[in-house]
Amino acid sequence: MSGDRSGDATDAIPDGGTVTEETAGGSGGSALAGLRERDDFVVVAMAAALVVFPFLLIDILGAVGDVIGISIGGYTGLPSLVLIYGIIVIGFNLLLGYTGLLSFGHAAFFGSAAYSAALFSQVVPSPILMVIVGTIVATLLAWPIGFVSIRRSGVYFAVLTLTFGQALYFWALGPGSWLTNGDNGFSGIEAHGLFLGAIPLDAQLIPVFDSYTVMYAFTAVVMLIAVWVGNRIINSPYGLIFEALGENEERVEFVGLNVFRYKLMAFIISAVFAGVGGAMFVIHEQYIHPTTALYWIQSGDFVIMTVLGGTGSLVGPVLGALVFEYVANVISGVSLPMIGSIGSLWRFVLGAVFVFIVWVFPRGIYGAFSDLGSRLLGEDPEEPAVADGGERE
Amino acid sequence: MSLLRTDGLTKQFGGLVAVDEVSFEVDSGETRAVIGPNGAGKSTLINCITGALEPTAGTVEFDGEDITDLEPHETVQAGVSKSFQTASIFPEMTVRENVEIAALASEHGSFSFDFLKRLSGFDAVHDTTDRMLESVELLGDADVEAASLPYGDKRRLEIAIALASEPDLLLMDEPTAGMSPDETAATVELVEELQDTLDLTILIVEHDMEIIFQIADRILVLNRGQVIADGTPEEVQESEEVQEAYLGGVEL
Repeated sequence: MSGDRSGDATDAIPDGGTVTEETAGGSGGSALAGLRERDDFVVVAMAAALVVFPFLLIDILGAVGDVIGISIGGYTGLPSLVLIYGIIVIGFNLLLGYTGLLSFGHAAFFGSAAYSAALFSQVVPSPILMVIVGTIVATLLAWPIGFVSIRRSGVYFAVLTLTFGQALYFWALGPGSWLTNGDNGFSGIEAHGLFLGAIPLDAQLIPVFDSYTVMYAFTAVVMLIAVWVGNRIINSPYGLIFEALGENEERVEFVGLNVFRYKLMAFIISAVFAGVGGAMFVIHEQYIHPTTALYWIQSGDFVIMTVLGGTGSLVGPVLGALVFEYVANVISGVSLPMIGSIGSLWRFVLGAVFVFIVWVFPRGIYGAFSDLGSRLLGEDPEEPAVADGGERE
Repeated sequence: MSLLRTDGLTKQFGGLVAVDEVSFEVDSGETRAVIGPNGAGKSTLINCITGALEPTAGTVEFDGEDITDLEPHETVQAGVSKSFQTASIFPEMTVRENVEIAALASEHGSFSFDFLKRLSGFDAVHDTTDRMLESVELLGDADVEAASLPYGDKRRLEIAIALASEPDLLLMDEPTAGMSPDETAATVELVEELQDTLDLTILIVEHDMEIIFQIADRILVLNRGQVIADGTPEEVQESEEVQEAYLGGVEL
């Protein structure tokens, strides 16, 4: 029973997530072998990775950067930003990777949640309520958009979702300006701290390590909830049905399942994740504009992150979000001898990384780690999966 | 007692009448065959029954209920399932998962909000899956990826998927097409065995005359969408119209 779900016969590989987290978290090998048999292993592994993630991304890479003389460490807000996109693409992958539906309009859910959260913050600036309100709006929007788009498949579905997304973008820029503030967007959006403002989001949790802020902890908790929910979904009947829909939709109908309603559910569930991420994004960035929130490029970025990370597993796409945001925010600031500042050329760098990964590792970064891991553990990659992060036992 | 009954079932594609006022019955417990030359409308007839195609006119009644306008998944839920001509399986899923999904559909209906419920907790689903895999002798390959099965096994998996829906009526679209003589014999034996153990009614579309005359209780013969004969194998064999239109006058 494989939770891996791409490509050819070599795909069924005993859990690569183990090794991914191992390299990130430095945990021991033999204990993990038993642990990963568990249904909720992926949640535990993610929790461990989240504890060390900012330290590795900011402090370790920063120190390395000091030595080689090129600034390659992230900035303090980057870990949260990576997780926010990570939450979104976990949901997006349930739609793209499992159900096989390519949406080019998920910026609509991301953006509508971001705007709703921003507007709601003017009434009650509670971060938790902002997330809830944003998510509800995104979910309510996903229902009609999904209802219409799901009726078509393949490229028609992609174009329909793109059209709805762009319609919302242009509405927010023009006719909807009374609500969205048009091209000016909203800036200075301030969420008060957690627990009725008692703990400000920018407060530091650990002295010296700047990146461990309350905002990071908040984001990490939401990420853990997202992974837990995602894991429950792929271990539920929905996991089986989504995977089956991706492989042979006609057959799903002919075993007596309502294909339309399950596809709609996949769409709505992915929109819920995008909504959570959108609201978190606005809390994090304190700024929102139609171009960052609703433009189709944003939808495309979700697709790139997901494919880059690997559609074959629950948390693979999070690695895609990490590489994407790292290139966008850190590599873009790197200045190289001869070439000079990379700056806005970062999309070229990202493109090169994308082509390389997709070419060499068709199953994405997660797939690459997964293969490497099974080789290191001396397991035969041809062997059918016995356990996986996203596994039914 | 008739389990399935069509009345004046007609399907028109533009000017072509693929199925022309076909009225026939399938009795509970029998093996009913539909034969006819290429383009006679056999598959179209099956598709009208399953709901894959919407008939232009006429009705389909199953177990006393009108199922003419039902969607395919509703027809399956009503108790009519179909095994496809080409093995229509989920290639990258395991053999067990392939059957599990059909057992699940039969267990919890066409849709449910159980996305936070563990699949491993559905005991009835796992029981049905094991039972069906055992009956088609694929239990030993349960954890193999379906794509890696030999062709004959894929076809038997296909049958197991159709059976896991726990149908009262099983529609079989050329179950032995493309099989070797050995595989064909094994499949025929399997079908007869399943019918006994599962108390199934079978409607089978088949090209292979030998198989038809071996297993069918009654045979419906179609030509250009119309019924030209309907009766026991002996009656059909003796019908001049059948020999003329379908067998081209060749003695069987």
